[in-house]
Amino acid sequence: MTGRLKPIGLGVLSFTLIIVAWELAVRAGWLNPFFTSQPTAIMTALERAARAGDLARSLRVTLGEFAAGFGLAIAIGFGVGVLGGWFRTVEYAIDPFLWFVYSAPLIAFYPLFVLWLGLGTHTVVAISFLLAVTPIAVNTMTGIRQTSPQLVLAARSFGARPRDLLWNVVLPSSVPMIVAGLRLGVGRALTGVVIAELFVPSGGLGSSIAYNAGLLKTTDMLASLMVIVALGVICTQGLGAIEARFDSWRTGPGL
Amino acid sequence: MRSRAAVSAMSVALFLAAWEVAPRLGIVDPFYTAQPSRVLIAAIDVARSGTLLRDAIVSLSEFAAGFALALAIGVPVGLLLGTFRTLRYLIDPPIMALYATPQLALLPIFVVWLGIGMASKVAVVFIGAVIPIIVNTMAGVRQVERPLVLAAQSFCATRLDVFARVILPASQPSVVLGIRLGLSRAVLAVVVGEMYVSQEGIGNEIMRLGSAFRVDQLLVYVLLVSAFGLAATNLVRRLEERVAR
Repeated sequence: MTGRLKPIGLGVLSFTLIIVAWELAVRAGWLNPFFTSQPTAIMTALERAARAGDLARSLRVTLGEFAAGFGLAIAIGFGVGVLGGWFRTVEYAIDPFLWFVYSAPLIAFYPLFVLWLGLGTHTVVAISFLLAVTPIAVNTMTGIRQTSPQLVLAARSFGARPRDLLWNVVLPSSVPMIVAGLRLGVGRALTGVVIAELFVPSGGLGSSIAYNAGLLKTTDMLASLMVIVALGVICTQGLGAIEARFDSWRTGPGL
Repeated sequence: MRSRAAVSAMSVALFLAAWEVAPRLGIVDPFYTAQPSRVLIAAIDVARSGTLLRDAIVSLSEFAAGFALALAIGVPVGLLLGTFRTLRYLIDPPIMALYATPQLALLPIFVVWLGIGMASKVAVVFIGAVIPIIVNTMAGVRQVERPLVLAAQSFCATRLDVFARVILPASQPSVVLGIRLGLSRAVLAVVVGEMYVSQEGIGNEIMRLGSAFRVDQLLVYVLLVSAFGLAATNLVRRLEERVAR
C-alpha cells in the first residue's frame, strides 16, 4: 500500500509547498501581490464569485461552449473518419483539407467567424470544433485502417456482411486509436474555447481572464485560471476512466 | 486503383474552382469569402511590400528564442524527472496540471508580467513547447527496457555509463516526439500571442487585416504560417525516422 501512497503523498506535498511558498513570498515582501496575487486572496475571490453566482455563470458558458464544440467535433470527426477509413478515395480527397485545418492557426479566422456567426458563443464553438475535429477524424481513420486483416478475414469467412464487419469487428478494434483521438481532441477543444474566449467576449472563463487582465486585476484573473486548470485536469482524468471501460474487451496488453 | 496524389489534387482543384465560381454566381458574398484569384493577387502584394519580411523576422525570433529555451530546459528536466523517482513524484503533479490546461490561457498573465513586447511571446512559446518536451522525455526514460539496464550493470557499468550509453540513446525517439509536439504548439503560441497584444509580428498583421476584413491578405498570412508549421513539423518527423532506425 505504501508503494501507491507515496506518489499521492508527494504530489499533495508539492502543491502544498508551491502554495505556501507563494503566500509566504508575498507576505515577506519578495513578490509584489499586484503582479502575482496570493493564494489566500485568490481563494477569497473564488469564494466571492461563487457566492455572487458569477463563477457558476461563466463556468456554465465555458462548459456549454466546450460541450457544443467537442460534441460537434466527435459527431463530425467520427463520421468523416469512418467514411475515410472505409473508402480510400474519400481519405485521399479529404486529406489535404485535414492537414490544412490541423496546421493552420485557426484563431486567425476569428474576425471572419464573427462576421459569419456573430460576436459571442457561436464563434467560440466554431473555433473549438475546428481545433478538435482533426485528431478525432484522423485517429478514427487510422484505427479503421489498422484493423487486423486476420480479424476481418475470420469474420468474412463466417459470412459477415459489410455492416456487421463495421460494427462488430472494425469499430471495436479501433477503440484505442479512437479514444487516443478523443484524448487529443478534448485538450484541443478546451484550448479552442479558452483562446477564442480571450478574443471574443462570451461571458466565459477565458473572457473573464482577458477582461480582468485589461483592468490589471491579477487576483480575479488567476482565480479564473485556476478554474480552467481544474477543468483541464477533470477532463483528462475523466477520459482515462472512459477509456478503461470501452476497451475492456481487450484482454491482453492492448496495441 | 487511383493514386493518392491524383485524388487529393483533384479534390483541392474542385474546392478551389467552387470557391472561385460561387462568388461570381452570386451564391456567396466575396467580401466574406474572398476568392482564390484575389488571394493570389494579394500574395503578390504582400510579397512586394516590405512589411512581410520585417514581421516575419520579429515572429521568427520570438519563436526561436522561446523554443530554444524550451529545448534547453525541457530535455534536461525531463531526463532528471525520468531518472529520479522521488523528484518525479514531487514535480510531476504540477507539470501534469499544466499539461492538461490550455497553456495559452497564461498569455494575459505573461503580458501583465512581461509587457506587450517580445518577452511575453517568448514566454508563451516557451511554456507551450516545454510541457510536451518534458512529459515525453520523462516517458521515454521510463520506457527504457529494464533488461537493457540490467545487462549494462552486469558488465560493471557505472550509473553514469548506464545513463549516457543506455538511457540516453534508448529514450531518443520519445524526446524527438516531444519536440515535434512542442513545435506545433509553439507556432500557434507565437501567432496567438501576437494577436492578443503586440506592436509588430505576423500575428499583429493578421489581427490588423482581420479587423479590416481584408480576407484575401489574411488568408495569405494564414497560409504562410501553416506552411511554416508543416515544414518545421516535417523536418522533425524526418529526424524522428532517422532516430527510430
